[in-house]
Amino acid sequence: MNNKHTISIISFIFLILSVTIYSGCAKKEDTVKIGVAGPMTGDQSKMGLDIKNGADMAVKEWNQKGGVLGKKIELLVEDDQHDPKQAVSVANKLVNAGAAGIIGHFNSSTSIPASAVYNKAKMPMITPASTNPQLTEQGFTNVFRVCGRDDQQGLVAATFVASVLKLKKVAVIHDKTTYGQGLADEFVKALAKRVEVVYYNGVIQGDKDFRAVLTSMKEKKPELLYFGGIYPDGGLLIKQARELGITIPFMSGDGVIDQKFVEIAGTASEGSYLTFSPDPEHIPGAKDFLKNYKAGYGEPGPYSIYAYDATNVMLSAIETAKNTDGPTVNKTLHSMKHTGALGEIQWNEKGDIVHSPYVVWITKDGKFKEHWKPGEAGQ
Amino acid sequence: MFLQQLINGLTLGAVYALIALGYTMVYGILELINFAHGEIYMLGAYVSIISLSFLTVTGFTSKSLILSLLIVAIISAVYSAAYGLTMERVAYRPLRHAPRLSPLISAIGVSIFLQNYVMLTQGSADKIFPHILSNGGFSMGNATISYLQTFIIITSVFLMITLHAFIKKTRFGKAMRATAQDKKMASLVGIDIDNVIITTFIIGSVLAAVAGIMVAMYYGLINFYMGYVAGIKAFTAAVLGGIGNIQGAVLGGFLLGIMESLGAAYVSSEYKDAFAFIILILILTFKPTGLLGESVPEKV
Repeated sequence: MNNKHTISIISFIFLILSVTIYSGCAKKEDTVKIGVAGPMTGDQSKMGLDIKNGADMAVKEWNQKGGVLGKKIELLVEDDQHDPKQAVSVANKLVNAGAAGIIGHFNSSTSIPASAVYNKAKMPMITPASTNPQLTEQGFTNVFRVCGRDDQQGLVAATFVASVLKLKKVAVIHDKTTYGQGLADEFVKALAKRVEVVYYNGVIQGDKDFRAVLTSMKEKKPELLYFGGIYPDGGLLIKQARELGITIPFMSGDGVIDQKFVEIAGTASEGSYLTFSPDPEHIPGAKDFLKNYKAGYGEPGPYSIYAYDATNVMLSAIETAKNTDGPTVNKTLHSMKHTGALGEIQWNEKGDIVHSPYVVWITKDGKFKEHWKPGEAGQ
Repeated sequence: MFLQQLINGLTLGAVYALIALGYTMVYGILELINFAHGEIYMLGAYVSIISLSFLTVTGFTSKSLILSLLIVAIISAVYSAAYGLTMERVAYRPLRHAPRLSPLISAIGVSIFLQNYVMLTQGSADKIFPHILSNGGFSMGNATISYLQTFIIITSVFLMITLHAFIKKTRFGKAMRATAQDKKMASLVGIDIDNVIITTFIIGSVLAAVAGIMVAMYYGLINFYMGYVAGIKAFTAAVLGGIGNIQGAVLGGFLLGIMESLGAAYVSSEYKDAFAFIILILILTFKPTGLLGESVPEKV
């Protein structure tokens, strides 16, 4: 009797499952699908959700105006958990779902392996945040970015350290990821022996205890700590450094510039130098974006506006190309000039933005403020 | 600098030792490796942050910091103890006479369940401990030992001594030792085995909760998967000292913390986590009974 019960229960479950799967298929509408991928869960989820919200806002605006090519736009959100393996499987999923284009990924370590998958499908990909130079050096015609490159970013940081702060000895710590180590190495390269690197070491991303590394670093008596990595580790690093009595200034890149960094580090974040693009609050074209985003999603993150612009460019290119065929859209993207919330977007043959100004920000009273702009020589 | 690394390692080791005690006590009595023990530690950290935020919102923290930290410790210890007790009731007691592999699998199941339960209810983003503690510390030469590090080491050592006295000096401690030696004989002389097992789980859970609170204060950042690595490291510490042996767990915890800290400083910080596991492999290969463990002939 018991056996009979089990069988009937199992078959009942199967019945329900098959019905729900079937109804899932039946509801299919003719839409243009845009994928957005990034770390939607886990310690970097803030960045992933910022990107999702930026893209979501752009898609909603287009849908209000009647969509693209006469069809509604559907946003497919995928979570890559800032894991390269997960990024590849997410990329395959989006390709199979028939997405017309991708906004993402966030981390360079996920964007690079995922870009190979999208390249095979000739599907256009615009990353709002991945700054590692390697991404656009692969010879792919479908990869674009609306942010800058780490060689540009490292150069601005190095110029600032050597010419403005006029320091002689620095320490460099990175998180061993494509982005973190890449940025740290570009910084060291750009210092070009003008400043001595007295300490260079990697830590494990997601680790919570950096005291051992910091203690070894302290002994070398550097005058500045440069960190290549993302905000959870950056926040803990500077917090623990201050607890160990290390008082030297802290400098890092665009992966750290988020309010969460201040939340984690507390007062230890004061006076940190961070390289990033200019403040959208000072860009005239970004006014409407900031107003609408704040109304719909709250305070924008550093990359919300990039995701918004990337989505708008992607949809404009589809509109101009008059279809969603990958190679045509890629060609259109390469040749178009788009005025977005951040200003003019125009790509070179690699898919890098033609003009990308990085500036140095500073943390003051728990807020980020623009601090220093490189002259022509720093470009 | 060596002194500073030693202090960092001692702090880390104190936390490992506290968690390792829970592993080793349960193993001593049930011969079960309670893989869900790390999750209890994670729960302790979460409850501390949630209750402290609550006290901060109501304005209590600003009135008396020490009293509110004490309240937080009690809440989270009680909460974790309740979880430890429920875990034993639901996942281990029904399997007490099953083959040894079954409770082990059940433990892994509980661990996965608790992680996902916390992720779903508390969200997957990191939780941040409120910035209410002073950053200061004592200076010794060019090393700094922060008030928090001092607090962690003293609290852990105090708890370890208390536990040692409890097991060696009290009647109940004697019952625990008897149960660990032979469950059947112990029950024949009138010891309530279930009671002993439950108490073991409660003590282990309270220690893990205290470790969780201290880590939340020390790092200032927690997440739902923190129990996994900490659990495995504490397990390594317990094996290093000789699993089932209380002094062994303490020794193993401190040794592991110091080795990890010195390894990261002098060998390579990139392989910091690997040191714990290299030690685990070496111990299992060359001295499976651990440093203080003795090889007991198979019980008949």
